[in-house]
Amino acid sequence: MSMFKSLSAEAGAEILSAMRSPSYMIPTLVFPIAFYALFGLVLTQGREMTAYLLATYGVFAVMGPSIFGFGVTVAAERERGWLQLKQISPTPALGFVFGKFITTLLFSGIILALLYCTAAYGGIAMPRVVWASLLGVHLLAIFPMLLIGLSIGLLLRSNAALAVANIVFMGLAILGGLWMPVSVYPEAMQNIAKLLPSYHLAEISLAVSQAPGERNILGNLIPVVVATVLLLGLVMVSWNRQKK
Amino acid sequence: MQNDVFAFRADNVRKAFGQKIALDDVSLKLSEGITAILGKNGAGKSTLIRCALGLERPDKGQISIFGKPSKSRAARERVGIMLQDGDLPDLLKPLELVELFASHYSNPMLVAEVIEKAQLQGFENKLYKNLSGGQKRRVQFALSIVGNPDILFLDEPTTGLDSEVRRSLWSTVQELAKSGKTVCLTTHYLEEAEALADRVVVLDAGQIIDDGSVLEMKKRLGISIIQCSANLSKGELLALPKVVSCKLEGTALEIRTSDPDVTMKALIAQHPTVVDLSISRPNLEDVFEALTQ
Repeated sequence: MSMFKSLSAEAGAEILSAMRSPSYMIPTLVFPIAFYALFGLVLTQGREMTAYLLATYGVFAVMGPSIFGFGVTVAAERERGWLQLKQISPTPALGFVFGKFITTLLFSGIILALLYCTAAYGGIAMPRVVWASLLGVHLLAIFPMLLIGLSIGLLLRSNAALAVANIVFMGLAILGGLWMPVSVYPEAMQNIAKLLPSYHLAEISLAVSQAPGERNILGNLIPVVVATVLLLGLVMVSWNRQKK
Repeated sequence: MQNDVFAFRADNVRKAFGQKIALDDVSLKLSEGITAILGKNGAGKSTLIRCALGLERPDKGQISIFGKPSKSRAARERVGIMLQDGDLPDLLKPLELVELFASHYSNPMLVAEVIEKAQLQGFENKLYKNLSGGQKRRVQFALSIVGNPDILFLDEPTTGLDSEVRRSLWSTVQELAKSGKTVCLTTHYLEEAEALADRVVVLDAGQIIDDGSVLEMKKRLGISIIQCSANLSKGELLALPKVVSCKLEGTALEIRTSDPDVTMKALIAQHPTVVDLSISRPNLEDVFEALTQ
């Protein structure tokens, strides 16, 4: 009972902090919807592109809260000693990660809902089971992205963390083909894309939303799982390192 | 058996960072009352606190809090802490921070009581980032007492506070100590240790070099200070009986003596022009200077 109380207090505090931070709210909430409306609806003729970008923008949408919510805030809290104070209190050591996770989940859910509504308004109609599987894939994308954010937050000082989070955020979006199909890139860039979890998550999203083209879900899932496990290892090592 | 359990106990603790030895075979037992750990910068005060809290692992030796390892939940439930560099999130309000921390403990103080004790009234609903330095420090203090701790570690609690805020924090700490809690504070304000502490532990270069009440330390130093005003030379002063040392600033004289009665009588007999006489015991600063020389 007290564990539940403590964790929900953590989550509540995180959500309040996030809502009071325009530098968090604007890039995470406004950018994905604005870009999708512009590039997916206004500047596109074909319904096909609207559907394509829905799949990839869903991955982009969860990247914001995951990378910024974990990367930038953890680095700042670590630097100012807040994290240390929490480690000394009897709260479960990972309580603060839980609070941030709930915040990320909440904001990702809000953005995805807005994104799906925008897509439906733009004329996308899919069977419910497809919407549901797409939502499942987009929510799953939170895990590797959150681990990227957490690694940044644990390894870097807060100024560096903000810069690196921005670079990683943009890099994963552009090189991973979230803003435009990788097929329009030169071959070298296409090869880089294949090293990025954002690319493989986008491909899985495209596969479940039944976008045209041959795709092998398992072939994309394996790199995502491998990346997630490696990132988890990195997070655990850096967690212990900063705790020492 | 109960009497053997100390609020805090360190046995032969040693901690080095590379070549630098921060704590060298430190043993310390704390029970009720206020103990000040006094030392210059780099003497090992913060390292001792960090080891006590389990933030640093000692290279050698044992540390326990009420007989339990520092990192155990049982110990953490009974510890309150104000770190030297424990800044809080900018975008939360003091009231929210207190409520958040109250949720971490199984037997917390009432939020209203914390607000009152730490004197947060008037700014409990302002964002932390908009608070003054003194207000921020008081919020940090509030978080140290919210868990209703039996032992409170305050690492340089009043650094950067104006004297009014400092005094109000002192009185809260004294109140807590009166209610049976153990308080361990580090400070380099001697005035703070003198005003607050029942016991002073002097740390120098990682070792405890003295441990006792302020009064005991002053006695141990065994000198008194005679202040007066007269037109005398250093040679004339040092010629007086029992004088240890003296300071001159124009006609203002400060004479340190191991026997104030004897020195005073001789001073008046030999130099009848002397005025503004007073005798005082050394303050802690004098003791500290003598110890760490």
